[in-house]
Amino acid sequence: MSGQNHEHHVSSAGQLWAVAAGLFILTILTVVMAKFVAIPPPFDVIVALSIALVKAFLVAAFFMNLYWDTKFNAMLLLMAVAFFILMVSITLLDMLYRVDVVPSF
Amino acid sequence: MANHSTTQTAHVQHHFVDGDQQFDTAKLGMWVFLVNEILFFGGLFMAYIVYRAWYPELFTEAALELNTFWGAVNTIVLIGSSLTVAMAIRSAQKNQTKGLKINLLITIGLAIVFMVIKGFEYSHKFHLGIFPGQFYSYEGLQHAQAPIFFSIYYMMTGIHALHVIIGIGLMMWIYVRARRGEFGSDYYTPVEMTGLYWHLVDLIWIFLFPLLYLIE
Repeated sequence: MSGQNHEHHVSSAGQLWAVAAGLFILTILTVVMAKFVAIPPPFDVIVALSIALVKAFLVAAFFMNLYWDTKFNAMLLLMAVAFFILMVSITLLDMLYRVDVVPSF
Repeated sequence: MANHSTTQTAHVQHHFVDGDQQFDTAKLGMWVFLVNEILFFGGLFMAYIVYRAWYPELFTEAALELNTFWGAVNTIVLIGSSLTVAMAIRSAQKNQTKGLKINLLITIGLAIVFMVIKGFEYSHKFHLGIFPGQFYSYEGLQHAQAPIFFSIYYMMTGIHALHVIIGIGLMMWIYVRARRGEFGSDYYTPVEMTGLYWHLVDLIWIFLFPLLYLIE
């Protein structure tokens, strides 16, 4: 990966079409799961978000080239996700355990 | 402007060792910007999560006002445009200016299709009186916090749509430069960066679609 004259990764047209096909299929799957399969409440969100995460991985790894890229860029993305999870966790620790919901919210 | 006689290639600026270093630097900078964008949208997702945790029944009811079919069509359209942008970058890498231009035009076309569908969705809601915040006047969904759901909906999809419009502008700029023959295998940095930006717009929609449209 290092060195002065390294070649940039060039995805083949077949690879790109395969990734897009995967994304199309997952989109149809998530709609079918949400609209035609009765999944009990907490798990419907988990299924929908899991499919979204797989789609996001496909886009980030193969369309945005992180799979072939320097690991530093992938680390930046993962750090952003980690800090987002931190923000959500700390905020929910407050918001979910209040005796009274904030008035007018 | 760089001087042809003193530098290896015209596009490499004097403070970079070579084109590769310049490319990697630009890409790192772009990723820092994209990470900023993710955290910026993260604030909006945070608002969504808190309100959904507080009012789960509201989100279930309000999602029925959103048209899953057109949301799914828009998802397919954006994924298709991500594919064509990736193909545009591939064309640039392989010195195929014609393929680059065609793929950019298809991408711009798909982005416009996305905006037109979004426009129809918005105008349908405006017609019903579904406005954000205090302007909400829809009779069909009576819930004290219904205006807040649609404030979140309009803010998230609206800022996303703004990104799509900016993306259309960027791709027109790339198209004009591609027509001048500025891009090839030795220099395609702006194509790559615009592509990264466009994939991020797709990435955000991948989460917006199930969270807003697919709640049962």
